[in-house]
Amino acid sequence: MLRNGNEGMSTIPGFSQIQFEGFCRFINQGLAEELEKFPTIKDPDHEISFQLFAKGYQLLEPSIKERDAVYESLTYSSELYVSARLIFGFDVQKQTISIGNIPIMNSLGTFIINGIYRIVINQILLSPGIYYRSELDHKGISIYTGTIISDWGGRSELAIDKKERIWARVSRKQKISILVLSSAMGSNLKEILDNVSYPEIFLSFPNAKEKKRIESKEKAILEFYQQFACVGGDLVFSESLCEELQKKFFQQKCELGRIGRRNMNRRLNLDIPQNSTFLLPRDVLAATDHLIGMKFETGILDDDDMNHLKNKRIRSVADLLQDQFGLALGRLQHAVQKTIRRVFIRQSKPTPQTLVTPTSTSILLITTYETFFGTYPLSQVFDQTNPLTQTVHGRKVSCLGPGGLTGRTASFRSRDIHPSHYGRICPIDTSEGINVGLTGSLAIHARIDHWWGSVESPFYEISEKAKKKKERQVVYLSPNRDEYYMIAAGNSLSLNRGIQEEQVVPARYRQEFLTIAWEQIHVRSIFPFQYFSIGGSLIPFIEHNDANRALMSSNMQRQAVPLSRSEKCIVGTGLERQTALDSRVSVIAEREGKIISTNSHKILLSSSGKTISIPLVTHRRSNKNTCMHQKPRVPRGKSIKKGQILAEGAATVGGELALGKNVLVAYMPWEGYNFEDAVLISERLVYEDIYTSFHIRKYEIQTDTTSQGSAEKITKEIPHLEEHLLRNLDRNGVVKLGSWVETGDILVGKLTPQIASESSYIAEAGLLRAIFGLEVSTSKETSLKLPIGGRGRVIDVKWIQRDPLDIMVRVYILQKREIKVGDKVAGRHGNKGIISKILPRQDMPYLQDGTPVDMVFNPLGVPSRMNVGQIFESSLGLAGDLLKKHYRIAPFDERYEQEASRKLVFSELYEASKQTKNPWVFEPEYPGKSRIFDGRTGDPFEQPVLIGKSYILKLIHQVDEKIHGRSTGPYSLVTQQPVRGRAKQGGQRIGEMEVWALEGFGVAHILQEILTYKSDHLIARQEILNATIWGKRVPNHEDPPESFRVLVRELRSLALELNHFLVSQKNFQVNREEV
Amino acid sequence: MVREEVAGSTQTLQWKCVESRVDSKRLYYGRFILSPLRKGQADTVGIALRRALLGETEGTCITHAKFGSVPHEYSTIAGIEESVQEILLNLKEIVLRSNLYGVRTASICVKGPRYITAQDIILPPSVEIVDTAQPIANLTEPTDFRIELRIKRDRGYHTEVRKNTQDGSYPIDAVSMPVRNVNYSIFACGNGNAKYEILFLEIWTNGSLTPKEALYEASRNLIDLFLPFLHTEEEGTRFQENKNRFTSPLLSFQKRLTNLKKNKKRIPLNCIFIDQLELPSRTYNCLKRANIHTLLDLLSKTEEDLMRIDSFRMQDGKQIWDTLEKHLPMDLPKNKF
Repeated sequence: MLRNGNEGMSTIPGFSQIQFEGFCRFINQGLAEELEKFPTIKDPDHEISFQLFAKGYQLLEPSIKERDAVYESLTYSSELYVSARLIFGFDVQKQTISIGNIPIMNSLGTFIINGIYRIVINQILLSPGIYYRSELDHKGISIYTGTIISDWGGRSELAIDKKERIWARVSRKQKISILVLSSAMGSNLKEILDNVSYPEIFLSFPNAKEKKRIESKEKAILEFYQQFACVGGDLVFSESLCEELQKKFFQQKCELGRIGRRNMNRRLNLDIPQNSTFLLPRDVLAATDHLIGMKFETGILDDDDMNHLKNKRIRSVADLLQDQFGLALGRLQHAVQKTIRRVFIRQSKPTPQTLVTPTSTSILLITTYETFFGTYPLSQVFDQTNPLTQTVHGRKVSCLGPGGLTGRTASFRSRDIHPSHYGRICPIDTSEGINVGLTGSLAIHARIDHWWGSVESPFYEISEKAKKKKERQVVYLSPNRDEYYMIAAGNSLSLNRGIQEEQVVPARYRQEFLTIAWEQIHVRSIFPFQYFSIGGSLIPFIEHNDANRALMSSNMQRQAVPLSRSEKCIVGTGLERQTALDSRVSVIAEREGKIISTNSHKILLSSSGKTISIPLVTHRRSNKNTCMHQKPRVPRGKSIKKGQILAEGAATVGGELALGKNVLVAYMPWEGYNFEDAVLISERLVYEDIYTSFHIRKYEIQTDTTSQGSAEKITKEIPHLEEHLLRNLDRNGVVKLGSWVETGDILVGKLTPQIASESSYIAEAGLLRAIFGLEVSTSKETSLKLPIGGRGRVIDVKWIQRDPLDIMVRVYILQKREIKVGDKVAGRHGNKGIISKILPRQDMPYLQDGTPVDMVFNPLGVPSRMNVGQIFESSLGLAGDLLKKHYRIAPFDERYEQEASRKLVFSELYEASKQTKNPWVFEPEYPGKSRIFDGRTGDPFEQPVLIGKSYILKLIHQVDEKIHGRSTGPYSLVTQQPVRGRAKQGGQRIGEMEVWALEGFGVAHILQEILTYKSDHLIARQEILNATIWGKRVPNHEDPPESFRVLVRELRSLALELNHFLVSQKNFQVNREEV
Repeated sequence: MVREEVAGSTQTLQWKCVESRVDSKRLYYGRFILSPLRKGQADTVGIALRRALLGETEGTCITHAKFGSVPHEYSTIAGIEESVQEILLNLKEIVLRSNLYGVRTASICVKGPRYITAQDIILPPSVEIVDTAQPIANLTEPTDFRIELRIKRDRGYHTEVRKNTQDGSYPIDAVSMPVRNVNYSIFACGNGNAKYEILFLEIWTNGSLTPKEALYEASRNLIDLFLPFLHTEEEGTRFQENKNRFTSPLLSFQKRLTNLKKNKKRIPLNCIFIDQLELPSRTYNCLKRANIHTLLDLLSKTEEDLMRIDSFRMQDGKQIWDTLEKHLPMDLPKNKF
């Protein structure tokens, strides 16, 4: 349905399509598949039978709008209706009943669960099937193993030992003989021997006693169970034992599933029908045969590459939602059974609907899904920093999560790029740090085959056979197929299809890079960006950048904050438009029509006689606290076409992604202010609001009922608080809309009632009571205060009342942030830095026409990082700025000509120099560089300096959210050291190396105070306050601080005593000192 | 001042406007020359003028805007295409020409539907709009639109802390920098002994004043900075060094300490530790135990105080004073021990 659009064409597929396809598969097939599994519920005594039909289920349109769901913290879901049949005696009722709600994907590819946008990312897992491996043990002998992986990720291993016995490792500790296993699975010895190619090896080891053990299935199961569960003694065969084994072993480790069956058949050359999804004895025997063959016969290395994408499968949102649906149906089944039982007690006449209507049953589906979205590791909060982030998040693939790898234990090989990744998973876009290589991003042309869970990449067929056909020349190859083709890896343009490029072309064949004659090529890649993810393909001149820096860039572009006034990049790659469109931050006309009116919050469109009101998003908070805002871009009375942009969202201009600003940069040292990647900027960027962004924070408070049963109340009357802090409250006790609030101000005044007891009085209250007989308020003030660092304008206050006692108040505060010292900025080539100083424009270095530079980067940041793309970009940007041109450059232009990028940049610079009559723009002695002057002295700098216009982004790591200081604050309970983290008002750790530094300086007293008064010396900590207030000497304690005492006690718990003794000089008396 | 200096040379210093053009209403360009200058002078004048032009010229801007009934500056008004925030940004960019002093008010009173441009601002006398076509907002419905504005002449820029203003107006981070860009270049002329330099000065302004006016204003501001040097130095304002470096109250031995102070003016007693006195370890330990660490501590103790210290003997006291005399040549009362 969604797929057919691009067949045969090499346009870039929609970027959110991956998610949509997954969800469509779930709705169209997954639901039916699970409903089919729903058993007929029968009650044999009373002849009642309840049945759901997979056919003809319906989903209702969601009852609430998407934005209401967000605003009211609800789940955006639609009701599922299924036809059901109830046979009650001779009465047959058929009814379409509602069995609950299912969360629905919105146009962003996300779900809204309890008002929060969530997205399910695709998981990449080892495909079920069998994998052979040979490795050398420590003695140099080859060991051959075959690992069977089930659909649920359970592993069991087949191995041959030195004595040529074949074992199956069924759990971490236990291994059993292959004969026992296959007998337990239901085949007798004769069958086994008939079906294997090497019966002599099978026969070689069982002795008479062992043979007896496997003479019947029951005995084999008993034997198996005994070894599997490690129970000794004599067991008697029983059904329950069989069931337990079934549950613990066969279901977990032997269910292959659809994909596993295919892989098994393919690997072992079997022809077992697709629908037998369980491991059969035949599989085990064939697998053993293969293993023996590997060891004795061929000796060829027939290892499987576990990291090859053909051995991986994608578990998409479709599979996960389907699993959850199955789970929910299982619960529903139990609930219905329970209701049926109740029906008989009450003697009422049931209908299909009444069986599923009780509240507990009807919310079964939605609660299952809400728990799933809330707890499953692959369901993540939708990252909405900017439009690019939104688009990219749905295209992530992760090896982590249930059934997958973990960041700490994954091997290097599993993180590495594999040749089969080309065109499917981006070789550069991955996270940094512990999960490097485990989370990736799909390449822009890749698509997922949701049936087999494989990632496919398009290629253009150029073989003779394909030429005759004329049609369907673009083929999508799955990872196991593309090894059989010679793929011209040259980054051919999609424009000149089939045209021979050169006699000999670089090609990919069976994981090797070769150079092959053109005639032998089968398929060719279609697009230079085919290998990259969206993040990677937004980097101009990516081929000149080191991969590590490109990786950083693709990550950092996702962290760019939308600015108050966006600007298109001068040098881009041409993918900006589609990225912006597919992120759906802009409003796009869904049909043609005429604009009736435009307003800042809605657009009225008249289309074929109807008036459509299109609401616009105004200053709304995103999940990452950035500001989402749409501005109308069509004048009144204009006729528009379908697909035209009506309003632009954050960080888009003219439908193109616009994450940063083009600023004039120079690469030169400036008084050390750009040491170690620091960046010097001009004041112009501050006062002209060039890097000004808006951030909206949400603060919320909820009223509860105390354990005594009295309810908390929201009020303005709060005793013992300064009037100043309450100045912004309205008469209800909630902050007024539009007021400016600072740190510490009360946003919502709340009082918690307290039981007054004589002892709990605070001192002055007791005094007041004693003297005046005044009853001092008996409630505690538990107001919502604006935390540290928060200041801004209150733009929205929202009351959410679910029931009279449970009120939630949300306050939204908008903050306008100019760029300031400590903010992080980055280019698109992984060149990142922190603002170190803001200079007045007259102090900045200036060009030969007097223009002051906006940013000064360190030239030493380029050579060691090998991201030369930034140099090309800045030079070309300068040319584009002067010529009023925008460049969109596809990567790998060097293949057409040597030094093509450099030639282009220089020719454009030369052109700009000629047209604007500015000779300094292009000087042949040092092209790209120019002599510039110091703004403070007017002297020219010693060397010509590289100047240009670069596209620089402001990242979300802003100093306002990081700056932190502490005088006193919370301490951790056990060690009594200050807690960690800014959010908890924590302290700053003085680690080992910091102590060395202080020791190196010989500042003993500073070191002492850091280690004692400021940290974990309990008594000294208390006394220091007094000492500072009274101006006394700071006490000097000699006893050890608390954490040392903890250490001593921990040692004691290991039966180690640590003490010190004082021996008197005079009488040698030993004094034991307690630590 | 520069003129006066060069007046001694053969030719008088002259300036001339070489080129002047109006690129747009908000972009004026002017090129000036100053010659003849002696070698090096062009640079002195050039950089000073560039910095003065960029940093010292004043401009007039809208600093506050007050809307009728808007809850906050990020809200939207029905019937207007822009949000309040965008209108404020548009107002920020409006270029005004004036020579006023202090704060004036202006207003916009318009009935829609129409485009509001800078033309619609009702200005006080002596303030005029440079570019009447600058957009402010787009009214799409027949609504009344009123803004009250405050105008101020200032220099540089201010990012205002947004306190809750009483009248409900919103501050605009006004930028009063009428000069957009300045460049200067120096040309050497003449031959042999009569070498002189010509200073070319290029000025781009935003239209609120012409480059010529900007040049005039900048030079006047620059001269104002130098004027104090022309007056004779004033007596009263000489910066005095604060000699009283330690002011902690001394409890005893007042007289002796003042004596000490006179002799050893610059050695703060609390900076000399008793470690430096090379006392015998016994004495040293005694003092340390009694919390005497610096010379000041020591001197602030009376003899009796010292004797009260555990295991402090008469000899020790004598020793201390001997050492003190040896190390610090000062008048110590001989009769002490």
